[in-house]
Amino acid sequence: MRYLTKNVTPSQKDLETINMIEIKNLQKIYSGVVVVDIAQLSIRKGETIGLVGNNGAGKTTLFRMMLDLIRCDSGEVCSGEVNVASNDSWKNYTAAYLDEGFLIDYLTPEEYFYFIGSLHEINKAEIDEKLLNFADFFNAEILNKSKYIRDLSKGNQCKVGVASCLIQNPEILMLDEPFANIDPSTQIRLKNIIREINREKHITTIVSSHDLNHVTDVCGRILLMEKGKIIKDMETNPNTLEELEEYFSVLQKS
Amino acid sequence: MTITLIRHQWRAFWRSKNSGKGITVRVIMAILIFYLFANLVLLSFFLDKVLESLFPGLEIIAVFSSCLLYYFLSDILLRFQLQELPTLSVKPYLILDIRRKQIINYLSFISLASGFNLAPFILTLPFLLKIVLPQEGFPVFLGLIVAISGLTIFNHFFSLWLKRKVNLNAWWMLGFMAMVGLLGFLDFYLHIISFSTISSLIFNSIIQQPTFALFPVMAAVLMYLINFSFLKSNLYLDELHSASALAKSSTEIPFLNRFGKPGELVAIELKLILRNKRPKSAMMMCFFFLFYGLVFYNNPGMGVGYGAPIFCGMFMTGIFIINYGQFMFSWQSSHFDGLMVNRINIEDFFKSKFLLFTIFSTVSLILTIPYVYFGWDIILIHFIMYLWNIGVNALLVLYFANRNYRRIDLSKSASFNWEGVGASQWILSIPLLVTPFVIFYPLFWLGYPETGLAIIAIAGIAFIITRQFWITKLVEIFNKKRYAIAEGFRND
Repeated sequence: MRYLTKNVTPSQKDLETINMIEIKNLQKIYSGVVVVDIAQLSIRKGETIGLVGNNGAGKTTLFRMMLDLIRCDSGEVCSGEVNVASNDSWKNYTAAYLDEGFLIDYLTPEEYFYFIGSLHEINKAEIDEKLLNFADFFNAEILNKSKYIRDLSKGNQCKVGVASCLIQNPEILMLDEPFANIDPSTQIRLKNIIREINREKHITTIVSSHDLNHVTDVCGRILLMEKGKIIKDMETNPNTLEELEEYFSVLQKS
Repeated sequence: MTITLIRHQWRAFWRSKNSGKGITVRVIMAILIFYLFANLVLLSFFLDKVLESLFPGLEIIAVFSSCLLYYFLSDILLRFQLQELPTLSVKPYLILDIRRKQIINYLSFISLASGFNLAPFILTLPFLLKIVLPQEGFPVFLGLIVAISGLTIFNHFFSLWLKRKVNLNAWWMLGFMAMVGLLGFLDFYLHIISFSTISSLIFNSIIQQPTFALFPVMAAVLMYLINFSFLKSNLYLDELHSASALAKSSTEIPFLNRFGKPGELVAIELKLILRNKRPKSAMMMCFFFLFYGLVFYNNPGMGVGYGAPIFCGMFMTGIFIINYGQFMFSWQSSHFDGLMVNRINIEDFFKSKFLLFTIFSTVSLILTIPYVYFGWDIILIHFIMYLWNIGVNALLVLYFANRNYRRIDLSKSASFNWEGVGASQWILSIPLLVTPFVIFYPLFWLGYPETGLAIIAIAGIAFIITRQFWITKLVEIFNKKRYAIAEGFRND
C-alpha cells in the first residue's frame, strides 16, 4: 500500500507498517570484491535514515543501486513494492542529489529549477513561489546571479542540488554527504529543513555523512556500514553519538 | 625538473580514461596520420614539378622563395583556428616548490610538440634536398632550413600569445581578423603591396647571404620572450582560466513548447550546444558543410549525374546528424546520472533526439534551397536525401549511441579532438555513408536511376512513419545498456 497522493497524511499506525524501500539479498561485486552486501533492509515511510561509514564502506554504491544507476549482481531494491530496475514509477516520487553529476552544469540555477519543475508538471510561477522558501538557504548566492551552475562553487552547487530535490515534492529524498561542502550556517539550515520536511510532510529521507554530530542530530535511525555490510542498525538515542565515536576510534587503533 | 613534468604529462595522456585505448582506434588513427604524412611527403617530393606547372617559364627556386611567406601567413591563420593551447593543468604545480620560470619554460617547450611545427619541414625538406642542395650548395641549404625553423617557431609562439590575448579580451580577435582582411585586400585586390615580392626579397637575400637566416631566428627568440613575459605576469588561475563567467541572455524558444516533454529536452540540448565549446564548434562545422555543394556542382566533370547530388544532399541536410549524432549521449555524459534519476521517460528522451535531428535537418534543407541555381532536380534529390536522413540515418545514429560509453569534456575544442572517439564511430560511418549508394547504383547501372531515388525516398518515409516502433526497440536496447553507458560516463 503506497501513499502517492501528496496531501494524505497517514496515521501513526500506518507509518509503522508502510515500507517505502525494501532491500533483499542485495549484492554488488567489483572484480571479486564485495562492495555492497545487504541481506535485508526495510525503510519505513517517514523515517529519517543516517548512513555512516568510512570511505569505501559502500555508501555511495548503495545509493546508486537504490536509484538504479548501477546493476545489482544479485537481489533487488523495491521502492513501494516495485523493483526499481524493472519500472520507472519510483522516479515520480523520489528525488536525489549524490554529486555534481546530477546537475546540468551549463544551465543557470533558475533554468535548472524550471527544467526540473517541468518534469513534474510544475510551472514556472509555482517554482518561483517555492524558491522563495529557500531565500535563507541560498543566502543570496544562487538566484539572479546570471551565472551558470558550472561557475558556482561546490558548496553553492550543493545548494542548487538540494533545492532542486525539494521543489519536486518528493516522498523519498536521498542526499549523499550534503554537509561536506557547505558552510556552517547552511549546514544548520539544511538540518532544520530535513527535520521540518520529516515532521510536516513525512518524507522518507536517507542522508549519508561523515559528520557524526549532524547525522545523530537529524536522523531517527542510523545505519552503520563497513565493507559493504550494515553492521549496526539503531534508533537514535542520547548515547548513539558516543557509541558511534567509540566504533570509529576503535577502528583507528586496530 | 622539466623532464619530471614531461613525464607527468605523458602519464596523464596514457592514463586518461579516454585516450582511445581501444586497439581499433589506435590502428585507425595511426593509418590516418600515416596517410596524411605520406601525402605531404609525396607533395613535397614533387614540389618542383608542381611549381613548374603552376608557374611555367620561371626559375623554380625563385618561385619557391616568393611563395614561402604566403605559406607562413596561412600557417598563422590555420594555427589560430586549430592549434590548442597547451592543456597541462598547471594548478597542482603552482603551489609546489617549483619556480615559475620552470613551469613557463615547460609549458612553452611542451607546446612545441605539434603537427604544425613538423609540417613545414616535411613540406620543404625533400624539395630543399632535391633542388636547392645540388644547385646552391650546403650553406644556402642550411640557411634556408634555419630561416624556416625560425619562422615556424615565431608563428608558433605568436599564435599562442595571440590566443591567450584573445582569451582575455575578444577585441584582439577582431583586430587580428581586420588586419588579415586588410592585408589580403591590399595584396589581392588593390595590388598596393605584394607579399610575393616581400617573400622573394627575404628569401633571395638569404640565398645570397645565408647568415641573414639569423634574422628570422632572432624574431623567433623575441616572440618567445614576449610570450614568456606575458605568461609570467599572467600565471594566475583565474586569469589563465579565461572566459567570462557571466551567463549570456537566456535563450528561450517558445516554438519547442508545442512538443511537450521531448520539446523541453530539446530546449535543454540546444542550450548544451550553444553554451559549450566543443558542441558549438561541431555545429559551426555543420554550417561550413552547407558550401559543400559548391565544390561539386561548380565542377562540370562532377556536376552531372546523380552521384554528386546524392552525396552532397546527404551531407548537407544530414551533417548535423552525422557530426553531432555520432557522439550521442556522450554530450550529456557529465550529467547523465541526473538524467537517469529524474522523472524523464526514456521514450521522451529518444523522441527528443529525433526532434532535434529533424529541426537541424530541416533548417539545413531550407538553407540549401539556393542550389536551385544548378537545377530543380538537385533540390529534389536533396529533399529525398533529407527524408533518408531523418528516417534512416537518425535511427542508425541512435542505434549506435546505445553502444557508446565514452565521456566527453564539453569545454575543449572540437578540432583534432579524439576524446570520445571509439570503435562505434568508425563502424557507424560505414553503413551511414554507404547504404544509399548500395541502393542506388545497382538500379542506376540497370538503367533505372529514378527507381533508385524513389526507393531511397520510400525507405526514408517508411522509417519516418514506423518511427514509434523503432523508438520502442531503441528503448529496449537502452534499458539493457544504460548501466554500462552511465558507468562509462562517470568520472570516478
